[in-house]
Amino acid sequence: MNTDFVLYLAINTLVVIAVSPLFVSLIKKVKAWTQGRQGPSVFQTYFTLIKLLKKEVIYSPNSSRIMRVTPLVTMAAILVAALFVPLVFVPEPVGGMGNIILFMSLLALARFFMALAGLDAGSSFGGMGSSREMSISSIIEPTTIVVFAALAFVFKTLNIFDMFAISVSTGSPSLSTLILIGISLFIIIIVETSRIPVDNPETHLELTMIHEGMILEQSGRNLALMELSAAVKMTALMALLLNLIVPFGITTSLTLAGILIALILLVVKCSILTGIIGIFESSMAKKRFFQLPSLFAMAFFFSTLIIIIEVFS
Amino acid sequence: MIDTAIVVGIVRILFVCIIITAAYIISTRNLLSVVSVYALQSLTLVCIALALWSLEGSIVLLEIAVVTFISKVLIIPYFIATIQEKIRIKRDIEFHYLNPTTSLLISMALMLLIYMALARIMEGTPARESLFFFGAVLGISLMLMGMMVTFSRKRAITKVLGFLSMENGVLLFGMFVTELPFIIEFLIIIDLIILVILTAILSVGIDSTLEDYHKRLHRFHLLEESEEVP
Repeated sequence: MNTDFVLYLAINTLVVIAVSPLFVSLIKKVKAWTQGRQGPSVFQTYFTLIKLLKKEVIYSPNSSRIMRVTPLVTMAAILVAALFVPLVFVPEPVGGMGNIILFMSLLALARFFMALAGLDAGSSFGGMGSSREMSISSIIEPTTIVVFAALAFVFKTLNIFDMFAISVSTGSPSLSTLILIGISLFIIIIVETSRIPVDNPETHLELTMIHEGMILEQSGRNLALMELSAAVKMTALMALLLNLIVPFGITTSLTLAGILIALILLVVKCSILTGIIGIFESSMAKKRFFQLPSLFAMAFFFSTLIIIIEVFS
Repeated sequence: MIDTAIVVGIVRILFVCIIITAAYIISTRNLLSVVSVYALQSLTLVCIALALWSLEGSIVLLEIAVVTFISKVLIIPYFIATIQEKIRIKRDIEFHYLNPTTSLLISMALMLLIYMALARIMEGTPARESLFFFGAVLGISLMLMGMMVTFSRKRAITKVLGFLSMENGVLLFGMFVTELPFIIEFLIIIDLIILVILTAILSVGIDSTLEDYHKRLHRFHLLEESEEVP
């Protein structure tokens, strides 16, 4: 492990924590605009997080140790997963860092603990949220595996760092494959971050909540950690999509100017993508639970197509 | 003349567009968007024909592009949209045998099958490595996907749309592999227009399913007679 890599770890973690709340509020802003409202300020999520950090944590008397460790485990798993997706600077991979299978397992670990915490306090809403989350993830995870397998086939590597390095240096493989990958990854983002056709992130209504149901019992700084980890997860997935499809700007050498430019470009690109997500969400209604597989089947279909093309031609 | 590599790249992107529209037609439940997506699919075919024309310079391709544009992008979607306004159904949520997800999965398997079969057939010929091979695979797949729409939907109007999308597949296959004579293309399109006009005439029963169409026709008869009597 060299100095470059240590610096990478620090920079990436700082950047992802600093920018990810911005994108959450940006999506809210875009949705508000499409509904003809003013919407909260783009810094609202930062204020909410700071407020929550100051508040006291209250545990239900029925809850066990799970409730206490979950926010930490989730945050840690997601932060490590975010380290696998270089945001501004692509170093040489060290050890297993950047392995796409490990990336997925880390996301699954976070999700597992979140579901456990939902069950832990014994509230019926939490249980419902966990049960829904697990049923959805048992359908989406095979799809995610296939999408990532398609990525691995296209770039001929399992390492996300190498994929980014390839897409920065030699340009993308071919535009037609990229369109298909882009659609698949977009659907994965929508599902993984509990966005509208799957889950409505804005309501605490019994009928619709999945992600909110699981974190209903969290309070104070634990809630802040959960919300931040959801934001970080979204940013990491968005960066994965963006840096594969529009890789310009991301730097492979460690210079201050390069990193600043990459950071600005990252914020711009992610803002555009959040705009697209916001408009997509506003133009759709939430799907019925049992119709969700048709959304996943779309991602599955496109990524299998990529694999067919890549393997047989 | 435009550079060959660029045209090939454009055609590949158009292929992707065709796959996306086909998947959308199979899986959506919203009737209004099916028609516009069908028009989009036909427009993509027009673009492919134009791209091929710039590559080969064959005048037939240009004619096909023009005829397709007039008939499939303008006239047929317009007719179907008028029918839809008359019958006022917005969604098609009834399915025979297969639901959209299963159809998508099956169409994937079909594509793989066609790919492998055609790869065997074209083994050793110069067409194997080129764009034309992909075009042929996609054409047949689109045909079969359209067929799947035709038999898995219950509403007659979506059946017609499935048939139309099937014909798009034939056209695509014809453009890339067989060089259908232009007159046959033209006749097929006339057939299609007549089919759509017939659908328009029959729009009394078109919001029903094929099973209870007769029943409904009789009912309308009775209604008309009873209105004439007073």
